[in-house]
Amino acid sequence: MEPALKMWNRDFQVAIRTQPEGCGYRMMAKSLQTFRQIWHLINVRRIRILFAACLCLAALTANAAHTQVRLMLSADTARPGDTVLAGVDLKMEPGWHIYWKNPGAAGMATKIEWQLPPGVTAGEIQWPLPEKLPPAEVTTYGYNDEVMLIVPLKLAADLKPGPLDLKAKVSWLECKEACIPGSGDVQVTLNIGNETKTSADAALIHLWQNRVPMPTQGWPLRAWWEKLANDDTRPLIIELLPFSQKPSASVEKADFFPDAYDQFEIQAATETIPDAHAEFCLRKLVKKFSGDWPKEISGVIVEEIGQAHSSFNVKISVSNKVTAGETISSTANQPSALPPQPLWRMLLYAFIGGLILNIMPCVLPVVALKILGFINHAQHVPRRVRALGLIYAAGVLVSFLALAAIVIGVKAAGHHAGWGMQFGSPEFIVVLTTLITLVALNLFGVFEVTLGGRTLSAAGQLVSKQGAAGAFFNGLLATALATPCTAPFLAPALGFAFAQSSSLIILIFLFVGLGLAAPYVVLSWNPAWLKFLPKPGAWMEKFKIAMGFPMLLTAVWLFNLATGDYGTNVLWLGVFLVLMAFAAWIFGTFVQRGRAGKGVALVIVLILVTGGYAFALENELHWREPIVAATAGSLKASPDGIDWQPWSLEAVAQARAGGNPILVDFTADWCLTCQVNKKTSIEVSSVRQKLKEISAVALVGDYTHFPDSITAELNRFDRAGVPLVLVYPKNPDAEPIVLPAILTPGIVLDALDRAAR
Amino acid sequence: MVLTTAVQAVEIGKPAPDFTATDINGKTVKLSDYKGKIVVIESYNSDCPYCHNQYKTGAMQALQRDLAAKGVVWLLVNSVNPKNFSHRTPEQARQEMAAAKMDVTAWIDDSSGAVGHLYDMKTTPDMYVINKDGILVYEGAIDNQPDPFHDPSKAQNYVSQAIDALLAGKPITVSETKPYGCSVKYAD
Repeated sequence: MEPALKMWNRDFQVAIRTQPEGCGYRMMAKSLQTFRQIWHLINVRRIRILFAACLCLAALTANAAHTQVRLMLSADTARPGDTVLAGVDLKMEPGWHIYWKNPGAAGMATKIEWQLPPGVTAGEIQWPLPEKLPPAEVTTYGYNDEVMLIVPLKLAADLKPGPLDLKAKVSWLECKEACIPGSGDVQVTLNIGNETKTSADAALIHLWQNRVPMPTQGWPLRAWWEKLANDDTRPLIIELLPFSQKPSASVEKADFFPDAYDQFEIQAATETIPDAHAEFCLRKLVKKFSGDWPKEISGVIVEEIGQAHSSFNVKISVSNKVTAGETISSTANQPSALPPQPLWRMLLYAFIGGLILNIMPCVLPVVALKILGFINHAQHVPRRVRALGLIYAAGVLVSFLALAAIVIGVKAAGHHAGWGMQFGSPEFIVVLTTLITLVALNLFGVFEVTLGGRTLSAAGQLVSKQGAAGAFFNGLLATALATPCTAPFLAPALGFAFAQSSSLIILIFLFVGLGLAAPYVVLSWNPAWLKFLPKPGAWMEKFKIAMGFPMLLTAVWLFNLATGDYGTNVLWLGVFLVLMAFAAWIFGTFVQRGRAGKGVALVIVLILVTGGYAFALENELHWREPIVAATAGSLKASPDGIDWQPWSLEAVAQARAGGNPILVDFTADWCLTCQVNKKTSIEVSSVRQKLKEISAVALVGDYTHFPDSITAELNRFDRAGVPLVLVYPKNPDAEPIVLPAILTPGIVLDALDRAAR
Repeated sequence: MVLTTAVQAVEIGKPAPDFTATDINGKTVKLSDYKGKIVVIESYNSDCPYCHNQYKTGAMQALQRDLAAKGVVWLLVNSVNPKNFSHRTPEQARQEMAAAKMDVTAWIDDSSGAVGHLYDMKTTPDMYVINKDGILVYEGAIDNQPDPFHDPSKAQNYVSQAIDALLAGKPITVSETKPYGCSVKYAD
């Protein structure tokens, strides 16, 4: 069968299937049979071709029944001088679509040709917001299912009363798997009288009118060429600055649907650039066909807020460069290496990240403390347990707010902020090491933090205060300990947060806090579940002591961190810790549990604490002026270890130019996940051998002291902290492979294999 | 990603990317083999009303005959995926080519979309003109009437205009336009 006939036949069957009751189609089926009979009679090839062409054309018009068109008016009767809204309603069969005024990379805009009596003038078509239609490489703008194009009809003041026939020819291109041009003649009667009577269709017309983009004036919109490239494609940046005229709901996603132009095309793909100073910032590619680059563009701004779309008609003048004083943030200048994520997903990651922090090695010991607290209070009034749960949550949230405030402050000061940065501060490490050591001693039973069991029964009021303070303190402590454990989910959420406005930073930190606090709040509000907790008993004391050891381990790890800041002087931190431990023992044994000589004991404790501080910390350690130990020498962990070279952008460029695959490990001394990754999955014999085999270059970036160069690189990959492990393929043009936060040797080997190809 | 690289690869005034493909007779077609000749590349789908209009009126065949006489190579590229009903098997394509009296050097069976994507073909028809040195000198619409019912003989044909200028050794006035037509029915 000839293709034209084949196509017609198929479309025809579609029509029959979707409209079984249409008798017109049955008649057409009959005529198709006749056509086929004639077809076989025609043997002369040339005639057959001509016939096929005609037949095809006939089929194209006849089958434009995938779209039905109807004309309606907002008024049945109108007065001379009125403006009546006409609605051209187009209904498409499922799967078929027609096009917007800018059809995009293909297709054709729907057209309305009016045949109007004298005294009636049609205005411009008001187009409801279209959808972007796939495929991505040929994006078009159009409508599925149904659309109503709205046209204001102006009635002259001198119109005579009586009926008027309004006619129009509507033509469109309808597409599904194929495209078919269609058209329809529509007609409606309008009465001219001395009063206005709205029609039954008015409500529907107004409903569609609500979907037409709103007019705007004086919006702080601006656009500029990101690069003044000489070839025919240029990136254009469109930015809307925050302003008061508009509802202040935060825009989750923004897009720009451009008008159609003959001399250039604003392509459909939109890239969102994170920019804390703007409502949104978009990058579009503009392709020029002829003439000059445009000085002004127009189109529709589409904003997504929750489920709702708002759209606005805009005109934007295009400048060559951002003018002085209108600086954009550093993150906006740099193309983000990862696609942007929607807000809800970021908040979900933040929450899950918070939950996971509960079981990370640096929080687990505190979890033990909290569980003990719950067991202690489970026998008491459920209301109090509940209150303690909430106070614990409040403690977590307050400290996360404080973290958020620090980040915002640092951001405002113009610094790049990085997650875990408080661990880069040596003073913080000294304070925390001391604190953790004391917590371990407390768990060992050297001294008590609360006033102890005896006082507990004596003064219920006071205990409840102690309990509350304890819960609050637990919350704070859990937060302080959580920071170095950049859990896998947390990394992107925080990376996102750092590029956002202050309110969003607070929101994200709060969600991390909520995740961290959630299990305990839930337990406290469902006291029944507390019954599943083990019964208190003598084992508790043993368990408590046992949990002191992981706490001690944490202290040792923190102590080790301090080496980076104080070098061999860190010995004096150790001396200080021993003095503090001695003071804690005297305090517990003689002040808290002793019968006589409490005063003397207390004086000794005070002398030990102040003397220890003045001598060990101030005099010997110079703890507030750390010397940063120079990291000289080989970076090799062992003689046969990976031959690590220090990371720099130049080192990466050099290795890429040489055609070598590259393994980059961004790590920090305080990053536990990084150390675990290194031990289990990077510095292992199989990976060492693979690196040699493919002659890969290994680069290590040390983030312990937050060098700006690494902060910038982490931001480029939407990460706010380490770990970040990258594998650059041998092909210098290929994008680097970003490995997950938690590694296995398999993941690393697989990435290296891919890189060597 | 594909979009950006394609945009960079196909550029007016730059060498047209080379490709090797198979035509409907199983013959291998290599673009660089035609160096020294002017080459026209056409993205094609006869079920698309815009292409159909050019062939129904005989305008496209007339242009092909005229250019063939001037030694111009014409490569027709059909990138419709095999699942789409507009796809043509080699047998159907040979019939269609004979029936429509096309005068083209080769009909490239590009059902994988490789050539279409390489040249970033957006619509059917989308036209490319490559000069004797292998430089892309025109890309875009066939003519200035983006309408499926117009009379092509009355339109300004950008392809013949560009080739006339090439043959006369004059600069090409319109070297890039926005292609119009149906979207290419690429494989997913």
